[in-house]
Amino acid sequence: MTEETTIHLPAIEKHVEHLRKGFDFWPTLENGTPPAMGDFRWPAELILSTWYQAGTGEPPTNGLEYRIGDSGGGFDKLDFRFLPEHQQLPPETEIDLAIPLNRRGIGREIEIAVPWYGGGMSFGSVSEQVMLARAIAAKEWGTFTSTGEGGYPDSLVKYKDHIITQIATGMFGVREETIQYAPVVEFKYAQGAKPGLGGHLLGDKTTITVAKMRESVPWVSLFSPFPFHSVYSVEDHRKHVDWVKTINPEALVSVKVSTPTDVDMVAVGSYYAGAHIVHLDGSYGGTGAAPEIAKKNIAMPIEFAIPKVHKYLQGENIRDEIVVMASGGIRTAYDIAKSIALGADGAILGTSELVAIGCTRCSNCERGRGCPFGLTTTDPELSLLVEPEWGAQRIGNLNASYAKQLRDILRRLGLKSIHDLRGRTDLLVYRR
Amino acid sequence: MTKHPESHGGYQRYFIETELTPDIVPWPNRFLVKVNRFQLAKLLISEIIHYRGDLKAITSRPCMYGVFSGPIGGFAPRPQHCVGCLRCTTQHPETVTILHNPERERLGDSYFTSNYINAVTYEAETGSIPVKGAGYPGKFGGEGWDGMWTDMSEIVRPTRDGIHGREFISTVVDIGEKPSFLVFDEDGEITSPQPRILSIPVPFIYDVPPKSAESEGLYEILATAAEQTQTLSIVPVANYKLKAAGRRLPGENIVPLVKLGAESHLEGLGFTPKMIEIEVADAPTSNIRHLISTIQSQFPDTIIAVRIPFGSPDALLQLYESGVRVFHLVADFHGRGTDGRFVMDLIREAHLAFVDEGTRDEVTLIGSGGIIAAEHVPKAIITGLDLVALDTPLLVALQTQFEGDCTDREGSRFNTPANIPLQWGVQRLKNLTATWRDQLLEILGAMGLREVRRLRGEMGRALFQVDLELEAFAEIEGYVSK
Repeated sequence: MTEETTIHLPAIEKHVEHLRKGFDFWPTLENGTPPAMGDFRWPAELILSTWYQAGTGEPPTNGLEYRIGDSGGGFDKLDFRFLPEHQQLPPETEIDLAIPLNRRGIGREIEIAVPWYGGGMSFGSVSEQVMLARAIAAKEWGTFTSTGEGGYPDSLVKYKDHIITQIATGMFGVREETIQYAPVVEFKYAQGAKPGLGGHLLGDKTTITVAKMRESVPWVSLFSPFPFHSVYSVEDHRKHVDWVKTINPEALVSVKVSTPTDVDMVAVGSYYAGAHIVHLDGSYGGTGAAPEIAKKNIAMPIEFAIPKVHKYLQGENIRDEIVVMASGGIRTAYDIAKSIALGADGAILGTSELVAIGCTRCSNCERGRGCPFGLTTTDPELSLLVEPEWGAQRIGNLNASYAKQLRDILRRLGLKSIHDLRGRTDLLVYRR
Repeated sequence: MTKHPESHGGYQRYFIETELTPDIVPWPNRFLVKVNRFQLAKLLISEIIHYRGDLKAITSRPCMYGVFSGPIGGFAPRPQHCVGCLRCTTQHPETVTILHNPERERLGDSYFTSNYINAVTYEAETGSIPVKGAGYPGKFGGEGWDGMWTDMSEIVRPTRDGIHGREFISTVVDIGEKPSFLVFDEDGEITSPQPRILSIPVPFIYDVPPKSAESEGLYEILATAAEQTQTLSIVPVANYKLKAAGRRLPGENIVPLVKLGAESHLEGLGFTPKMIEIEVADAPTSNIRHLISTIQSQFPDTIIAVRIPFGSPDALLQLYESGVRVFHLVADFHGRGTDGRFVMDLIREAHLAFVDEGTRDEVTLIGSGGIIAAEHVPKAIITGLDLVALDTPLLVALQTQFEGDCTDREGSRFNTPANIPLQWGVQRLKNLTATWRDQLLEILGAMGLREVRRLRGEMGRALFQVDLELEAFAEIEGYVSK
């Protein structure tokens, strides 16, 4: 097998034109919602409202649901206890959405302008075009995106101040210079969608280019081991942190973990090992490929992990020295706000960014040539369906809509800063 | 096809050979593809004009799975290739509509829903673990097994599973009695009962099929698959002999099922079974004790299990007092006990009853009913079973269809395809067994456990929605603990 393929640009352009029209058309609801679209976590309306926001930068006003899904639990059961209108802050109030990523008081100070950044998606699981789109949007919005575990394409280097380098158990594509580029280095211990299993990239997607980047063999399935075989304790983890600090003394360190029953202890351990950020990835998170049994059944949803960790860190008197970022099933601006109210500092997004650039949640990311929309693919032809600047604009628009909604939520709660929302479960209400 | 690795030095690692075994009955497609031919003709004409002779552009279609790649393209779509990606309808909303096929969604019943049917048939066809992209699409937690998650270990994982590599996780389970201690007389001779254990390499056996699905062919498939996977197949003793063929089922892995009062059927068995299961219904314990003693004298090395519905723990303890050490607890096909409670609670109750008595390690608990997905096996073991007896998933693997809601074991109607080829049926069950074992390995590996026996009753390594919700949301207005 080779990657030689005859790309016929007029055919690509034809499809791109039709697709973009479709992304604009469906949210109008002129044809209703596509009958086979959506699932309980991402109902059709949530996908279409995300398309709408990605097209306009605004939440929809035609009745499309953009705040919750239909899962019947977790975020979908939580709501805010907004103040009566006369007690809310006036619309012109300046509301601060920025959060710091280093609360340790020493070392480099990094602040992101919005309380979220992009989660790891590897080269191989997604195309280079998608990585670029996310990186451009991250730069524009003063936040970050993450490489995932698959290497660092050269085209990303000019966005390096907004890119987190991920080091995961397979060490795929990790090089000294990619660690040196990074303002933040992320150790991925586990992923919410497949906790305890390591990464999967099935053989069809391990093209020659992907294999080269990962220093592996083409067309062979790549399974990252689990766990880090050099880490069996907090002390071992500390050695990992020291190793990164030797290569890049300025880097902040994030530790991405899943949500086992002792996730609170894991967070404390991460802190004492020197982490600046503990990244909790809940069990309903996204993936390019994972055993179905793992997605549904292993480890707890993020809604339960956040308050557990938040309270435990408070009890240990270290809550204000470490940043807690939450991911794994955070789909909307409201989910971001609820995560923070439950105790996180901020959120990490993945699937919603992909939905913004065309994902229909069809779950065919792993098979054959990969995503038919050119997102989770390594196919040279399909990748051209996503033009990086177009993708960046869509993600940027989604960010704009999220920022607007977050400011509105805070204003209606009488809060001037996103930091003031952290851990405020008293502002939430559970809808039965 | 996955073939057995070579053995070295006499040791042979347990392995189930899998092989692609496609459906023999065409099942409804997952999706329906509706094309508005007028709109399609309009689209084609406009593209012919726009791309003037550029055939590649004109004939380039939105579907990469071949739905529109037949001789006349979209005018005769091929829905059997549709994976529901929705690219066609996204870019041509006026021309194509993709719908879920209601016929496909009607497969199964209200418990064994089409999602579970799809998973089991995929597993039986391919012998592979279902791996897909994108996150979990389902409800948040839920009732029964869905309200439980298994734990994982972030860094402390002593081993890697047996699928991809290096070290070994054991899925061997023991069936039988294991006295807590031995008693010796003055001469140092053991006077108390000694351990009597049967070990099988997977924590599932094949349960007796429901009456409406019974056939000699089905029993032969079940027994042969059990033999080849080294597990057990429960067969009513009267069915042991294949009447039409004048042959007998492979004996080694057959568990004859005998009803109280029909034990004379065992006399013509012609082999020594590893295990015999007796169905005792509401018989007095003295009768049960007598029956066990009679059968045991006939088959002194055979494990004897008692098959009873999930019920009160007191009844189990009474049976224990009567000498029963292996219990096969049976719920209906939807996992409900006689009192309507779900099997997860019933297993936990039975397990804890023996724990409280200090006798849990002396007995074996087998359970069946409501276990219809690979993840239900570890969850059932975590809540207290030693192993499970599979029922409806085996039928679904053989493309059996449900008639209405199939709840109770006696009255439910199943339609198994006629004349299933033996080899096809055996391979489908081997594939299913292999993939359920592989998925069990994934769960055990994630938990950092080396063997499935250590999973039994490990409720501290499970996360229950009801507990997690209370811990996380107790302070939130409006939350009421379930």
